[in-house]
Amino acid sequence: MKNFFRKVAFGIGPKEEVPTDPLNWALNQVNEIPDLSWQGKIYSEKELRNHYKSWVYGDRKVLRKKYKNDKNLYKTYKNLLRHETGQKFWESLEISIRHNEGINSQHPVLAKLWMFWGNFFAISEKDFLANYSTGPYQREIIRPNLNQTFEKMVYDVTTSWAMIHHLDNSESAGPKSVTASDEWRRRKKRPATINENHARELLELHTVSPKAGYNQEDVVQLAYIMTGWQQRWSKTRLETGNIWFNSEYHQPGKKNVLGKTYKKGRKSLALVIKDLVNHPNCRDFVADRLCKYLISDEPTKEMKQPIIDAFKKSDGFLPEIHKAAIKVAFENNNKFKKFQTPENWFIQVAKIGDLQWPPLPEIMDSYELGTKPSRKQRSPERLLRNLGHHPYRAKQPNGWPDHSDEWISPELLIRRLVYAKLSHSFSKMENNNNEYYENIVQKNFDNPGKIMKYIDQKNRIVEKQTLLFNHPEFLKS
Amino acid sequence: MKITRRDFLKTTALTSLYFAGFGAAGYANSGTKKNLIVIMLRGGMDGLCAIPIKSDKNFEKLRSKIKLDKTLSLTSDFDLHPALKTFKSLWNQNQSAAVHATNIPYTGRSHFDGQNLMESGGKIPYHEKTGWLGRGMKIAGLTGNGLALALPMPLLIRGVPMNNNYFPVGHKLPYPSTLKMIQDAYKQYDEKLLSENMEIIQTRELSNTSSDNSWVLASNAANELSKPDGPKVAVFEVDGFDTHAAQGSTNGAHADCLSDYDNIIRSLKSSMTKESFDNTLILTLTEFGRTIKQNSSNGTEHGYGSAVLMAGGLVKKAQVHADWPGLKKKELFEGRDLNSTIDARSIYASAMSTVLDVDFKRIQKDVFWGENLQNLSDKLFKL
Repeated sequence: MKNFFRKVAFGIGPKEEVPTDPLNWALNQVNEIPDLSWQGKIYSEKELRNHYKSWVYGDRKVLRKKYKNDKNLYKTYKNLLRHETGQKFWESLEISIRHNEGINSQHPVLAKLWMFWGNFFAISEKDFLANYSTGPYQREIIRPNLNQTFEKMVYDVTTSWAMIHHLDNSESAGPKSVTASDEWRRRKKRPATINENHARELLELHTVSPKAGYNQEDVVQLAYIMTGWQQRWSKTRLETGNIWFNSEYHQPGKKNVLGKTYKKGRKSLALVIKDLVNHPNCRDFVADRLCKYLISDEPTKEMKQPIIDAFKKSDGFLPEIHKAAIKVAFENNNKFKKFQTPENWFIQVAKIGDLQWPPLPEIMDSYELGTKPSRKQRSPERLLRNLGHHPYRAKQPNGWPDHSDEWISPELLIRRLVYAKLSHSFSKMENNNNEYYENIVQKNFDNPGKIMKYIDQKNRIVEKQTLLFNHPEFLKS
Repeated sequence: MKITRRDFLKTTALTSLYFAGFGAAGYANSGTKKNLIVIMLRGGMDGLCAIPIKSDKNFEKLRSKIKLDKTLSLTSDFDLHPALKTFKSLWNQNQSAAVHATNIPYTGRSHFDGQNLMESGGKIPYHEKTGWLGRGMKIAGLTGNGLALALPMPLLIRGVPMNNNYFPVGHKLPYPSTLKMIQDAYKQYDEKLLSENMEIIQTRELSNTSSDNSWVLASNAANELSKPDGPKVAVFEVDGFDTHAAQGSTNGAHADCLSDYDNIIRSLKSSMTKESFDNTLILTLTEFGRTIKQNSSNGTEHGYGSAVLMAGGLVKKAQVHADWPGLKKKELFEGRDLNSTIDARSIYASAMSTVLDVDFKRIQKDVFWGENLQNLSDKLFKL
């Protein structure tokens, strides 16, 4: 039963009591969205977008001029300068805030679900999004929506600066829009065309999935509906301006997506999203993904059905969907054990191992803007990259996979071995004794005697931790 | 449009005769270890950017902003992207070739379904749990002969036990006795896959403190592939071909990706022994090509037909093999994409048959479920 605390959260820390009613303990965490428990400075998405603008484009302007005849030298110095002036700091700060929710907050279940949705609506590695924007996007767009409807979540995600930039919607222009007849387009030979990227992923990854059977024309028509939603471009801000609906880029006329008709204009996006989230395939897709994340690589119909029912009954109210998923996870707790992804695994290592992780708010707050961050201040980004599971740097817009097979290979297991071993360097002196291990094993495993016997094969703490954090019962929950 | 489909087939036939006298000296000795390397190009490689057709006014018009202002010449009908320098130098030695207007039989234009299918070789996304290469290796009895130069184990080579991967972490492993205890626990809990992977970790000789730069990875892979008892199959990945915006032309995003591919074959060529490279076949694999027409952000959208690039000593001759479908609107797939006239799985089945020494029909039946594939071995590879 105790693996449930790791299945829906990150385990029980050494100073925490084991909840007597695990199911209600979990269910009670998903109604409200409390303030983040991070005690250090938190920067708004807009502030960080300003850094994006001034650092990325400021550097670029100066360096481009300086190395205008040598592309390679320009690239080298650009990277060097950005590294030296702290471009890697922000994502480390964001990861610290994120991990702190899993480790030190009173609502780790909500934190685990937050991570799920961040990956469901993934922003993959592109330009400088991971450096400045993906963390704040997950904080300001995904997290506040965890107690709203799925429909609102999809709308907010679709019109967020980060997603529009990620999937090129600013580049999409209706072929019959006002801008299509702009003189500069003729002069520069740049006719107005749509960019299908965002529309395709809105269907495929964010709502109905390909199982809904949409065709190329549906993608095109949805792209027409989405034309006009773009970054407000200016000479000083370039593409870092806010998102707005530019009616001059909007394709006029009616559009037809999956058999439904939509009028032209700003409001059509909300209407089409409403229909997409109420499509039966959308409910099935969300239920499937949630089950894959929490319960099993191969969700059964019986697992998905209660989540689908909750979705339907509550009009996609996320707390109800989450509660249904948690109940299914509880009912299947012993029958299905889920191999934890590297990031989830490491947060559990940090919480159960009582590691000095994430870096303390004082350490992160001591960072001076424009300087090179210290090793500690850069460590979260580096660590997750090395684990092969950096939450803001998925390779593609479908985010990181949930299937175990994707996370088992010699190299990926080597990373767990290496970081279980290195976790010793984050350990607190006061935990350097057997009582500590007896305490955490008692709190997190149903068979503490067997686990203790296994880790007692070694005497040194570093090896005990390597053994414990790579034990099959620790890897799966 | 300069060439018609019929003209092109004729040209190909003449070219074949022209080359008839070449290549015989390089025929693989059946007793020599042969290697098959697959480089997955994720995101949708634009076959017409890598190997553009010559003097096609319609094509040039549709790509006015992203057409290549500088190319390397391949044949009377096709040019080569200038980023593919090594490919060109191999071409001059009859060690590289391409199949054009080809793709897996998938027209849905989703990256993720498409990538799943290009690796599984199937027709229903996420239906198969193994890859076509893994199944081919299993038939050939190649247990423990696969090496992926990537962090995860690609679906492509799943299906045969004991595959290794290499992407060094830069830290040392725990003590061997600790590893053994962990493996014992995996065995006790009947965790077969974990246990198998731990076995590889404990027995392999690769350094965990090397670099994960693709050039170094390719060089390390080349050393392994050159060993008589080393792996016989290797898989690489290059990301970033999904250029919806700012695709670029001679330079730019697509060019950078092609250059990444070219660097891998350059590193393989320079680090493999001559005998090994002469007995190696390197193929590319992508989920789809891209639209013929550029969009207003100077990028291209998801398409259908693309090209498969081939390199190594087992390539029969320098050629662009194609049943060219044409680029007029009516000749395009759904009026927008280069059509695919050759099922790319025929190339992969033929390659496996040639390199893994398995009868083509057996591959066709046991790897590709008896699908109607064409044996192209004698056209494309040295038998």
